Amino acid sequence: MNLLESIKIALEAIFANKMRSLLTMLGIIIGISSVIIIVSLGQVSQQMILKEFESFGVNRAYLGLSWRENPRQRDYISKEDIGILSDAFSDEIKGMSPSVTDSGKIVKRTEEISVELSGVNEEFNKIENISMKKGRFLLESDMKTRRSVAVIDEKLALKIFGRTDVLDEEISVDLRSSKATFIIVGVMKEMPVPFGNMGGYEPPAKVYIPISNMEQMVGMNGMYWGLDINFRKGVNPDETLNRMISIIERRHNSQGKNLYITYTAESELSMVNKVMSILTLVVGAIAAISLLVGGIGVMNIMLVSVTERTKEIGIRKAIGAKYKDVMMQFLVEAIIISAIGGIIGVMFGILISSIIAIAFGFTPAVSLLSILVATLFSASVGIFFGYYPARKASKMDPINALRYE
Amino acid sequence: MIKIQDLSKIYKIGEIEVHALKKVNLHIEVGEFTSIMGPSGSGKSTLMNILGCLDRPTNGYYYLDDIRVDQMKGDALAAIRNQKIGFVFQSFNLLSRSSALKNVELPMLYAGVKPKERRERAIEAMGKVGLSDRMHHKPNELSGGQKQRVAIARALVNNPAILLADEPTGNLDTKSGTEIMDIFQKLNVEGTTVILVTHEPEIAAIARRVIHFRDGEIEDDHETSKAEVGL
Repeated sequence: MNLLESIKIALEAIFANKMRSLLTMLGIIIGISSVIIIVSLGQVSQQMILKEFESFGVNRAYLGLSWRENPRQRDYISKEDIGILSDAFSDEIKGMSPSVTDSGKIVKRTEEISVELSGVNEEFNKIENISMKKGRFLLESDMKTRRSVAVIDEKLALKIFGRTDVLDEEISVDLRSSKATFIIVGVMKEMPVPFGNMGGYEPPAKVYIPISNMEQMVGMNGMYWGLDINFRKGVNPDETLNRMISIIERRHNSQGKNLYITYTAESELSMVNKVMSILTLVVGAIAAISLLVGGIGVMNIMLVSVTERTKEIGIRKAIGAKYKDVMMQFLVEAIIISAIGGIIGVMFGILISSIIAIAFGFTPAVSLLSILVATLFSASVGIFFGYYPARKASKMDPINALRYE
Repeated sequence: MIKIQDLSKIYKIGEIEVHALKKVNLHIEVGEFTSIMGPSGSGKSTLMNILGCLDRPTNGYYYLDDIRVDQMKGDALAAIRNQKIGFVFQSFNLLSRSSALKNVELPMLYAGVKPKERRERAIEAMGKVGLSDRMHHKPNELSGGQKQRVAIARALVNNPAILLADEPTGNLDTKSGTEIMDIFQKLNVEGTTVILVTHEPEIAAIARRVIHFRDGEIEDDHETSKAEVGL
């Protein structure tokens, strides 16, 4: 008897017991689809994180003082350090800016709007993903002449003026005790906030002013805590940062004191990715347990089926069915039930995960490999859990089997 | 055709040994029509199972068609059953989900016959038992007599050496029973070796040779007075 005949006989048996076959498949369907849904959910969230990082800048890094090592003022990064670094690493660095930030308030009649006032240089828009809606970003000349100019985002413009074409308008910011007035030279498009509006928290609106201006306001002179850096594509951030640190250490005679620390978006991303992968794996493994339960369901039903069809097995054996023939018949039946369950599970899983992907704004990716793997996997579940019942059937003694009523 | 020497079968039920067959010697020639009779527990069913290669003897020799089968087991016995033996059972033993024709095809399926030839030979066998118009009916759509005729067609289809019938008329009314016996007689006249197990003397009497069993031994083995009937 060949495989085709076994498949025919198995299909007859499956269709003879439609309801039972369907319920048996249900275990496999739930198992396979939950594995697929969990895995693609993990992929979607990883894509989401990557997207957030991309909007923030994947090649971004920070080099700054380590407060744990109690740096003295002479260890601070100086204007000259920055000049040397940007000359030495012009091939690697796309943009580099010190920043001095303080929080302030803009008073509009009786309403107070809290803002984050950041002094940055003209390269800052090459670091942060800033795109202008109106006007321009800060220029080198703004730094040199300490012009009282500011770049704000459109949301803030709408809040203060009720419109976005606010170039050359004035804003005055309360900063601790002092009060400063700036002329708006640029309006930025609203920036995506990393990880969305989580928990309803809205970060204060950003106001960028020339760093020279900010230094004067807070009373610091060419001494900075740290640098925001954006590397060019293909640059190894960690290796470049180490070289930058060694230059700074040499200039400050502070080799081996670990006074400077770095953060890179890349290492943060890979860490988040690692956590996500582990999470997906763990949840996926839990989902796989349901597949195991489904497989046990297949075994259970096959055992019932073998007992129920004892007489049939006896007849077949009396007529000349060999060990292998009976084995094949029941094994193929278990495999077909599992494989059909697997295929339905794959379709269901793809449907659900596509809906999830679309809901989160990603194009649903149907991987052929996952279909193949899931189907083969469910078929092997059939082999694994169908083997014992099939063996039981094939080992039956024909005389006893024929007597069974 | 069938040569049995010193054949014994001992069942162990717990500590007790039951001697179902005690050194039975039996020869059956090609083309014979033999009935085996005896009360229950006489060993006739055990003999039937051994003759049909469903069971193995504890001791002794069994040659079927000059092949020694008493030592065979598993798949080898399955092949002998498939090629040399046609079974007809009291309770028909048809596969209820399959049509009459598919039931008849079954032995050829296990013999590895190609689908086309299988179908042709099954149709031919159905014709032989006079059921050409019932080929696509399921067993539950057939009468008892018709079911038994399907079973006979199935038993014949691989051209077996012997046709073994175990109480073939036991579940049938008299008229159907007579029809079935007529078929057996016709097949025997055409050359098929038939062995019939029954407890009804009238049925047994149709055979030319009647063997009586008692307590695992042959009590009586004689040609019937109606020997001419078959001829």
